[in-house]
Amino acid sequence: MLRQLEGSRAVAETVARCRPAVVAAYPISPQTHIVEALADLVTAGELASCEYLMVESEFGAMSACIGASAAGARAYTASASQGLLFMAEALPNASGLSLPIVMTVANRALGAPINIWNDHSDALSQRDAGWVQLFAASNQEAVDLHVQAFALAERLSLPVMVNMDGFVLTHAMEEVDVPEQDDVDAFLPPFQPRQWLDPDDPVTIGAMVGPGAFTEVKYLMADRQIRALDTVTEVAAEFRAAFGRDSGGLVRPYRTDDAEVVLVAMGSTLGSATDVVDDLRAEGVAVGLLGIGCYRPWPYDEVRAVLGGVPRVVVVNRAIAVGAGSVLGRDVRLSLPGGTTVVHDVVLGLGGRPVTRAGLRELVLDVLAGQVPDETLHFADLDREAVHRELAREAALEEAAR
Amino acid sequence: MKLPYAVSLGPGTSAADLTGSWRTERPVYQTLVAPCGNACPAGEDVRTWLYLAESGGAGYEAAWRSIMETNPFPAITGRVCYHPCETACNRGNLDEAVGINSVERFLGDRALDQGWTVRVHTPATGRRVLVIGSGPAGLSAAYHLARRGHTVTVRESAPAPGGMMRYGIPRYRLPREVLDAEVDRVLALGVTLELDSPVTDLDAARAEGWDAVFLAVGAQLGRRTYLPAASAAKVLDAVSMLHGLETGDRPLLGRRVAVYGGGNTALDAARTAKRLGASDAVVVYRRTRERMPAHEDEVAQAEQEGVEFHWLSTIERVEPDGLLIEQMELDENGFPQPTGRTERLAADSVLLALGQDTDLSLLGPDSGCRVIDGSVETDHSFATGVTGVFAGGDVVAGERSVTVAIGHGRRVAESIDAWLAGRSAPPVADPDLAPYEALNTWYFEDAARTHRPLLERARRSSTFDEVVHGLDEDTALFEARRCLSCGSCFSCDNCYALCPDNAVLKIGPPGEYEIDLDYCKGCGICVEECPAGAIRMVPEEV
Repeated sequence: MLRQLEGSRAVAETVARCRPAVVAAYPISPQTHIVEALADLVTAGELASCEYLMVESEFGAMSACIGASAAGARAYTASASQGLLFMAEALPNASGLSLPIVMTVANRALGAPINIWNDHSDALSQRDAGWVQLFAASNQEAVDLHVQAFALAERLSLPVMVNMDGFVLTHAMEEVDVPEQDDVDAFLPPFQPRQWLDPDDPVTIGAMVGPGAFTEVKYLMADRQIRALDTVTEVAAEFRAAFGRDSGGLVRPYRTDDAEVVLVAMGSTLGSATDVVDDLRAEGVAVGLLGIGCYRPWPYDEVRAVLGGVPRVVVVNRAIAVGAGSVLGRDVRLSLPGGTTVVHDVVLGLGGRPVTRAGLRELVLDVLAGQVPDETLHFADLDREAVHRELAREAALEEAAR
Repeated sequence: MKLPYAVSLGPGTSAADLTGSWRTERPVYQTLVAPCGNACPAGEDVRTWLYLAESGGAGYEAAWRSIMETNPFPAITGRVCYHPCETACNRGNLDEAVGINSVERFLGDRALDQGWTVRVHTPATGRRVLVIGSGPAGLSAAYHLARRGHTVTVRESAPAPGGMMRYGIPRYRLPREVLDAEVDRVLALGVTLELDSPVTDLDAARAEGWDAVFLAVGAQLGRRTYLPAASAAKVLDAVSMLHGLETGDRPLLGRRVAVYGGGNTALDAARTAKRLGASDAVVVYRRTRERMPAHEDEVAQAEQEGVEFHWLSTIERVEPDGLLIEQMELDENGFPQPTGRTERLAADSVLLALGQDTDLSLLGPDSGCRVIDGSVETDHSFATGVTGVFAGGDVVAGERSVTVAIGHGRRVAESIDAWLAGRSAPPVADPDLAPYEALNTWYFEDAARTHRPLLERARRSSTFDEVVHGLDEDTALFEARRCLSCGSCFSCDNCYALCPDNAVLKIGPPGEYEIDLDYCKGCGICVEECPAGAIRMVPEEV
């Protein structure tokens, strides 16, 4: 049933219907509404047999989830930005111990400068933490991805991070269909942990592994991540069959056939980008769009299959790797070895700067006009006057100091 | 359960990680010398017998037997010893020293009450030893020699045994039934006691054919000093007065008695004078209270009984109705110097308690025993210059007390035993003491010391009833349990329980642990958390 709901509320209700046994979280904008709503549901008794843990920090939240999951409980948390970084120590433990924890990240910039608005710096900073990372394009997809995330996590025995753009999605009111409890129950079986701590049948979860087996453990982790690509596709297909909605999956190509240029993006940008593609196609410009639904594991083959023959690719980066370039763009390039495709690595929409249809349209046209470099990282929505002024001032100061 | 490779493991599998290889130091169990036992002049293993007594019941007899290994007179020393063990006790740094002396007395009295005895387990050696003097040194030696199978005769000049324990220490400090009972227990080992038998010629005695002789005649002569005195003045020496009292002489001291000196004998004399009816008993001492050699407890009890003190005072002259006293003052070195200021002190008699000398007339002019400053010279084994003649107790130089004499007697017995067997006495090793800092006192309960009750003051002025009472069983047990077991494992299991690697193994009866070096990482938690300081870290050789 479609309802007019805030994205956070919709996600919270969906998570509740997934029946977590433990929710441990620490509030941080823009994630706060999600965990507040869950706390309310627990308090109201609508989320029965769930332990809601008020923890002292994000580190505590993830640690509690690790403990709960190791004890065989379905565990959930949510965070954002520096909160996610505060969890960073524990994140590889969750993945390394194969604990199927689900976490929502309400994507937000990383300080300093402190900034509460949306970009993808937080999630991408944890690129190598061993978590499956899914990105939602809309609130409906965010809802659907959470149902899929629990299924995926428990089927793989791997932790799954569901990314949704902070404020743009979390705080947006729109029509959302929150899956019914019976349907969720039918889709998501009760948690059957692969391993658990039981005083009557003791095991050590998290033993020290020395040089003798460490590489092999990591190899097996990496292998399982790659195999998870199939599971992501499989779960998305099962979801479509059960709920009749196309949500999730690895990649989402849109009008890429015969495209002269293809935009690559993740998250809520895909909505605007779709409109831009439609507008430009109507004007006769051969442009397409590739949405990345699953950032980790990286869908190498699927991306290559779409972009392999495309002359120009424009990667919309909503995070940068300072001192190196882009994050998403590098993954895209990985999928295009030795080809003729030109990749334009473009940064825009950092720290909450809106990614508008006009901006994306201008970007595509500039690329086609040969006005966007393909060798260096291109800042598309930069106030060039401001940075030139500052660079000149710095240069003058250095000159004066010399 | 299907466990992931390597990172999750079944029980016991982490044993494959021999984390002991990380270690740079290893814990080693140790038994250090406790300060109490180290300070005991009689050589008692105080910590051990306190530990035995802590269990109560049959533990009391075991504790008593431990004391009896070194000291045959626990009921006596439990009364008259000045307990240097308590001065040394580490617990003094925490709250107050363990009342070791009172527990010893409890055990000694219980032994007398229960009739516990010791036996000689060694076959007779046929060797005959003469002990001259039945004081604490002589009787202690007789006890230890007899237990080693030797035939011992103790020759005593007085009509009763005990030496200074009988003729020096007043009854209110040491009841004679206690003394008699403990002496009888020594005699019951087969020791021959010859009373009223002064030895006046050592060489003649040796000629009787003894295999060894122990010279333990004590220091029975009160030291005199020249005091200008009027003919009517009554000047006595304290040692003679105390001795006479024991043989039935009741000295006529008058109403006002002055005692000259600052040692324990001076206080014994003053307190005795009070009990004999003196209204005033005044101790005249040339230095200050802090510098007085008498034991603090004695001073305190004397004060309670109304004994007065004239500090920094010397007697200039004794007159028929009193004393002329000169005031002194301490110089920068702490020595008293005369000031020329005098005052008068009314006194009917003066008791001199200025120290005691040894009557060594039995040595004769040509003795091989060397005498220096009135004391017989001996080597570390108490052997004199005359082969087969040993000396100890007040006869030799050094601290003089009942407990010191008991210790001398034991060591002389060991030396004689070794000498008779053709062995040399073993050298004494420097003790590895358990310092207070080695303890972890957090683990001990707060437990304030139990003090022995005292006889009410009214009864102390007219009777020779014992002043200090004993502890009862409850309080003695409580006091024994205050022992911190310095430097000795008492099986608390802290090391076993707190080892993060389960590397402390219990290998046998309580208290027997072993470090599993395969897994001990050398973290030192066991050392840190050992209440008793009974574990130390030793560097590994790398």
